[in-house]
Amino acid sequence: MLLKNKLAFITGSNRGIGFSILEKFASNGCNIIAHSRTNNIDFTKKLKTLEKKYNVRIKNINFDILDSELMKSEVYKIFKEKIPIDILVNSAGIIHGGLFQMSPIKDIRKVFDVNFFGLIELTQMMSKYMTRFKNGNIINISSVAGLDLSTGNCAYGTSKAAVIAFSKTLSSELSSYGIRVNVVAPSLTNTDMAFSKEASKERELLLNSNKPFERMANPSEISDAVFFLASENSKFINGQVLRVDGGNKF
Amino acid sequence: MSNLELYKNAYVESFEIEMDIVETLEYQSIAEWDSVGHMLLMSTLEEKFDIMLEMDDIIDFSGFDRGKEILLNYDVKI
Repeated sequence: MLLKNKLAFITGSNRGIGFSILEKFASNGCNIIAHSRTNNIDFTKKLKTLEKKYNVRIKNINFDILDSELMKSEVYKIFKEKIPIDILVNSAGIIHGGLFQMSPIKDIRKVFDVNFFGLIELTQMMSKYMTRFKNGNIINISSVAGLDLSTGNCAYGTSKAAVIAFSKTLSSELSSYGIRVNVVAPSLTNTDMAFSKEASKERELLLNSNKPFERMANPSEISDAVFFLASENSKFINGQVLRVDGGNKF
Repeated sequence: MSNLELYKNAYVESFEIEMDIVETLEYQSIAEWDSVGHMLLMSTLEEKFDIMLEMDDIIDFSGFDRGKEILLNYDVKI
């Protein structure tokens, strides 16, 4: 129960890594503001089940990361409650693959709008709110693609690299207010996103390997890392990138 | 507590200074009002007046008097 009575705001929490983080946090006593782009009955049911199972409070909040005004108004409603938000996990994102010379600029721009600009806009609001309480913990989900920047990563990889660079400078700025900022960089993880056509090459390679660590990560293996950074067990870790990839580099 | 008292207290609490110098303050006129202190002041004002300051106003918030003018935009009359 390392997160008992904490409050976490998790973006993109309705599926994939985001949902795994939500489950992990809830199972450790954390109350949660669970962001998803749209309202979904199945997700709402899942949240109710988790609330009951772990005796925590989970509030669903809906906005499109690209809709700046809606984001602002929804987040402001939460601020009005004047309850400290201890942890922000920026998990929402979209994937894109393709060579630079075959990637329309509008597609690259959209990837950056969601994966980077949406993230920094929300973080700007949240970090200002956390400053009031001189306490906070921000964990941004990047990717090994943002570190390795291999072929086909002109949009997704560079947007995730931007998240890493942003997180490093932010950790330096926000440390004055007692706010930590760290990054988790997963390799291809067994979620819907891994089964998109953009991830097909790497997915096939991993699915056909017999080596124990040459496989997709399980979402819970990523949320374990996020949980560590969210807990007091990492209280002196700030401005770091935690790579979770089984040691693989492609 | 009046809005003026709330406003002055925001400076006192954010910068840990005496009340008697508050009305003379400008950005960076004392060591405590640096960029770090500025954001502390902004978040304190947001909390006290239950507002969310726009980025342009945060940048434009250059002193005690200018701050009063900016807060008028949020229906906070000092």
